[in-house]
Amino acid sequence: MGERWRAAVPSILSVALALVVCWIAIALTRDTEVASNAYLQMLYGGIGQWPRYLDGGDLAVIVRPLGEAASKAALLILTGLSVAVAFKAGLFNIGAQGQMVVGALAAAVVGAQLSAHALLHLPLALLAAAVAGALWALIAAALKLWRGVHEVISTIMLNWVAVTLVDNWLVVGPLRPTVTGGHSVSGTAEIFPTAHLPRLLGDISRMNLGFPMALAVAAFVWAWLIRTRRGFETRAAGLGPEAARAAGIPVKQRMAEAMGLAGALAGLAGAVLVLGTEFRYPGVLGAPYGFDGIAISLIGNNNPLGVTITALFFGALRAGGTRMQLLGVHKSFPELIQGLALLFVAGRLVWLALLRRRRTQPASAEVPRA
Amino acid sequence: MLELLEALLFSTLDAAPALIFAALGGVLSERAGVVNVGVEGQMRAGAFCAAVAALFMPTPLGVVLGMLAGAGLAAIHGYLSIRWRSDQVVSGMAINLVALAGGTFLLESLYSPNGTPAIEQLPRWTLPLIHGVPLLGALSEHSGMTYLALVLPFVFHAVLTHTPIGLRLRAVGEKPHAVATLGLSVQGLRWGAVLGGGLLAGLGGAVLSTAVLDRFEQHTPAGLGFMALAAMVFGRWTPLGAFGAASFFAFGNALRIGLASSAPGILEFIPQGFLLALPYLLTLILLAVQGQRSSAPAALGTPYEQESR
Repeated sequence: MGERWRAAVPSILSVALALVVCWIAIALTRDTEVASNAYLQMLYGGIGQWPRYLDGGDLAVIVRPLGEAASKAALLILTGLSVAVAFKAGLFNIGAQGQMVVGALAAAVVGAQLSAHALLHLPLALLAAAVAGALWALIAAALKLWRGVHEVISTIMLNWVAVTLVDNWLVVGPLRPTVTGGHSVSGTAEIFPTAHLPRLLGDISRMNLGFPMALAVAAFVWAWLIRTRRGFETRAAGLGPEAARAAGIPVKQRMAEAMGLAGALAGLAGAVLVLGTEFRYPGVLGAPYGFDGIAISLIGNNNPLGVTITALFFGALRAGGTRMQLLGVHKSFPELIQGLALLFVAGRLVWLALLRRRRTQPASAEVPRA
Repeated sequence: MLELLEALLFSTLDAAPALIFAALGGVLSERAGVVNVGVEGQMRAGAFCAAVAALFMPTPLGVVLGMLAGAGLAAIHGYLSIRWRSDQVVSGMAINLVALAGGTFLLESLYSPNGTPAIEQLPRWTLPLIHGVPLLGALSEHSGMTYLALVLPFVFHAVLTHTPIGLRLRAVGEKPHAVATLGLSVQGLRWGAVLGGGLLAGLGGAVLSTAVLDRFEQHTPAGLGFMALAAMVFGRWTPLGAFGAASFFAFGNALRIGLASSAPGILEFIPQGFLLALPYLLTLILLAVQGQRSSAPAALGTPYEQESR
């Protein structure tokens, strides 16, 4: 229980406060009973209906929610890591959404247009998504390093370029599948089964290989950041570009690498969505997992372990959110909790000041970025 | 042909004000040195509160409440980023996420998931002399907001460039320490700019739900806040530039919608996606060609600390 856990306190407090505020929000618009019941349903939907299972219920009442939570968490882990990696290099990647869209499209194209053996097809589709996302992110890096364009502005613009070009041109134009049956489908052609991310729990749940893959990627990112020289140099470039440059670190190169990696991670998130659950680029990629990544990264303190834990938590809330609809609470409710938690994390300095006022010793010597 | 042009001009003038107000809100806040990526959220709050308020009171009063709602969200942004010097992009994005999910939640629990009940739109003004005149007639039959949007950028420009308060506002975004040495409050000026920006963005949102539409819809403003940011950047952080860019983007949008309904053949050659992406592509190209440092306020995004230099 050292400094590292102390650093997590504001995030935990923020999430707890967000949960309380949102409970009050339901209680005010409906009543307290509905609010408590909705939270109970969210819990059941997120981590399984343990009471029913212990009463002799089917194992599926636990496995299905958990699998659902894991498949949502996989996406949040990847987009959260995308934002976090850029942060480590001192860059704010608002563009995870656009990079994810581009990656999802690349995965859908490789998955549907190419036929290959499963051992080759799936890795190719994943690789295509990662490369596409990385290239999209590198546009922002190039604009920053050569033209001094702030990455926040360029990535916001790139998000909308990606979304409009893909959703309103490619998917409804050149990539629209040729209709063979009577009914027309929205989105691109369905990918071949050889490119599917295999399901791990059979037909019980949509949980697929994407989840262990996301965990492995998180471990890789952690190892890269903490255990390699490049990772160290990247962090140094993020913490103090001037000092890093003076120490002989090629700051621009490290920043570009980090942005490329960030784009690849977001692109992988798109691939997991397409290859794991959607099996085509859907008519509209409605889910803003890329924007969620910003919240996940910041609540998770921008480090791989924190991001993973935060993503698991909000993945479970998301999975539970669909159950809340039974009570007339919109399924996007967990996003409200997540948004508020981010807002409270942004006010971390307020928290720290309040904590400091209580005791004389400072809560944390480190001045957080956010 | 003339009729087509008039129709195009008419729909541009109908749709542009929301974008213009929001872009001006962005300019006001960012010229004072506070990044405002929360425009989208402030617009959403403004649109929602204006529509809900207009169910119970005269619509113009609802618009005022919508503005206040935008300023309310901006106040949270200001409290975190000015008072506590937290990262301005973070609190702006947080506001967007909260407004997006919060709007959906309130909409569902108070009305229906798709939108509020219909309200009475802002009255449209028939201009006596030019109404019915070819082409010029496009200027008539708009809500007061359209005419305000045509005047406000010039007022804003005049205030920003020709008055002491405008000079101070610009200085606080370029070199806040210089402002502080004059004995002026950097924090106070920034607060004023952020709240003013919130009022304008809220107004932009309120226009959407009270003049363009007659209700708050689930997805309002559907990315218009980010397009306003593009207009702000494309207009090089100046009121008149933002006005021009916002009008241009709105015209492009009207052209796209017009083409889709009257001449879908043309869209076979120029896909809608291209036209939709155009504002952002143009902004990126402009930034790539000119670089950003030449036009953005120098102290943009830097929290002010008295002791730092």
